Amino acid sequence: MSESLNFHFTPVDEARPDEENVHAKASTDVTDVIKAIQEQFPGAVTEVVVYAGEHTVFIAGEVFLQVCTALKEELGFTYLVDLAGVDRFREDAPRYEVYYCFVNLKAGKRLRIKVRVEEDDAVLPSITGLFKAADWNERECFDMLGIRFEGHPDLRRMYMPEDFAYHPQRKEFPLLGIPGSLPLPPRTPEGELTMDPFAAAHSGSPAKSYEEPAEHDED
Amino acid sequence: MDSATGYLTTTVDSVVNWARSNSLMPMPMGLACCAIEMMAFGGPKYDVGRFGSEAMRFSPRQADLMIVAGWCSYKMAHAIRRVWDQMADPKWCIAMGACASSGGMHRCYGVVQGIDNFMPVDVYIPGCPPRPEAVIHALMDVQEKVRNEYSVAKDYASGPKKSTAEPISLGILTSDGRQTEVGA
Repeated sequence: MSESLNFHFTPVDEARPDEENVHAKASTDVTDVIKAIQEQFPGAVTEVVVYAGEHTVFIAGEVFLQVCTALKEELGFTYLVDLAGVDRFREDAPRYEVYYCFVNLKAGKRLRIKVRVEEDDAVLPSITGLFKAADWNERECFDMLGIRFEGHPDLRRMYMPEDFAYHPQRKEFPLLGIPGSLPLPPRTPEGELTMDPFAAAHSGSPAKSYEEPAEHDED
Repeated sequence: MDSATGYLTTTVDSVVNWARSNSLMPMPMGLACCAIEMMAFGGPKYDVGRFGSEAMRFSPRQADLMIVAGWCSYKMAHAIRRVWDQMADPKWCIAMGACASSGGMHRCYGVVQGIDNFMPVDVYIPGCPPRPEAVIHALMDVQEKVRNEYSVAKDYASGPKKSTAEPISLGILTSDGRQTEVGA
């Protein structure tokens, strides 16, 4: 067998040219896009991280909305794939970051953008005006981390109940939750809400609404 | 004589219990991956129709066995409790899988640590997810429980039997709530 085995998907630090990797097609090599952003918005790109041939572009929060508008209308990134928040507690200087994954369908390019968010002023401009797909993801990010998206048409909690007081994916939130913050349903149809999350361990399981008959024989 | 031990009532009991236990209509409360195994349990290979429970009822008014399959969040718990309250008496409940029984691997803020914290459970099934055979076994356990219950001799709505000095006559509740004398 003359052909040698090639593992085309092994991560490397440099973006591969097209002819070397037929599968990757250098779709994550976006150096020209980064250059275009830098030319149009000087100072907008604060950092570029390259890992496994993928570029991660850090954008300053003040010009983020303008950069997104240019990305969509001039650079052809019309498809928002994903958006979520990360808590970098005690790892990075601005505590939170929000990442955005865009795709240019015509050129076959993928772009990952990150925006750092301060803890004291956790506000970002919403991109729902540009990408409708951002709606629920921004709500999720608000629910889990408490980052507010200015200009979002309906910034309610995505998963947790409306009156829940905390943001559970912040690192200081205890994994088991805060007892009494989430009510369980009443134990009888007319009863009060159960505030104890371990009610069965403390006061037994609820009884049925009718008297459960004793068994005929216990054999 | 105790009204629940007479010849007639125990005979009627056994007939009614036989009918009830062989036609349990499950209300599938599929919340996660256990629901896939529950579908296999209702499907042709495991064929729960052999036990008379193939008719899954998605209306709580027509169901008498709730199978809670999967992890239950605090938000969903209120919906499950409401559906349970809408089911007509007598009713039974199976907590299917580790998550429904105890929270399972989801030991976190959003998942109820066992559905028995807010509703009564008759049979717990271990497993993650349990195989359909295990669900069938749980169904057979519920059938066993149904067969050993009083069904007609006690008035479920009136709660525990009141202790009175007067002897209680044998009777069957009619549809309008009157007790008719039977062979007394």
